[in-house]
Amino acid sequence: MGETDTNGARKVAAEARNRVRFEEEALELSDQVYRVARRLVSTREEAEDLVQETYARAFRSWRSFTPGTNLRAWLLRILTNLNIDRGRRKQRAPDEQPLEEGDYFLYNRLEQATRDGNVDEERVVERLSQDDIVGALSVVPHDFRDVVVLVDIGDFTYQDAAQILDIPIGTVMSRLHRGRRILKRELADRATGGS
Amino acid sequence: MAGYEIDPCVKCEEAMQPYLDRVLSDAERHEAEEHLANCSSCAKRYRFEESLRVFVRKCCDEQMPPELKQKLASLRTPL
Repeated sequence: MGETDTNGARKVAAEARNRVRFEEEALELSDQVYRVARRLVSTREEAEDLVQETYARAFRSWRSFTPGTNLRAWLLRILTNLNIDRGRRKQRAPDEQPLEEGDYFLYNRLEQATRDGNVDEERVVERLSQDDIVGALSVVPHDFRDVVVLVDIGDFTYQDAAQILDIPIGTVMSRLHRGRRILKRELADRATGGS
Repeated sequence: MAGYEIDPCVKCEEAMQPYLDRVLSDAERHEAEEHLANCSSCAKRYRFEESLRVFVRKCCDEQMPPELKQKLASLRTPL
């Protein structure tokens, strides 16, 4: 009987070690998780709630994480699912999607707004403020914004974004493409005052 | 990528996002770079887009409140 007890105790101890390691690794990623969450929702309070819920759920279901796979993507998948569950999608208004323009729309508008038409392309972004960027991003419709935030701010690959959002990679690419154009159009309006 | 011989700047614009995402094939990337080397108008726009991406990322680098970090740590399973 002694041997069975020892084996059982070893197993429990090993599991506790794995759990502690999982929790530590997850917490180390919390800054990055928060940064993405902050741009997926409108307010800081919502982002904080969402991150807390995500970690509560992650710590409960840590056994379903496969060690050696991408923990950051796993956490973001929980987070985006929770965000969708919260009914955020109700806000969607498919008929009122902002118009998108070409890829160079923002550059061309900034160039037009420059008196001599000579744009210093590396400095012209300085004409945009942090408020412009954050404000413009917040009006990009959710489906597009999720992808832009994951790839451009979260630094996820197309493949990771596809897994996190549970959509095909081709959809990631087309939403990313359109989402960035919508963002640039919004930025152009903010930088040069109206359309 | 076909099309550079027809309207090179339009073709180059199409390649811009995948170029900056580093997902073009070697051949496509070479074609884009060849055009960029000879077209200052496209090259300027590429440089702008690159700066814009860096700037967007910088603007969104919001620090997590320290209280939240503590709250997350308190969610851990007690030993």
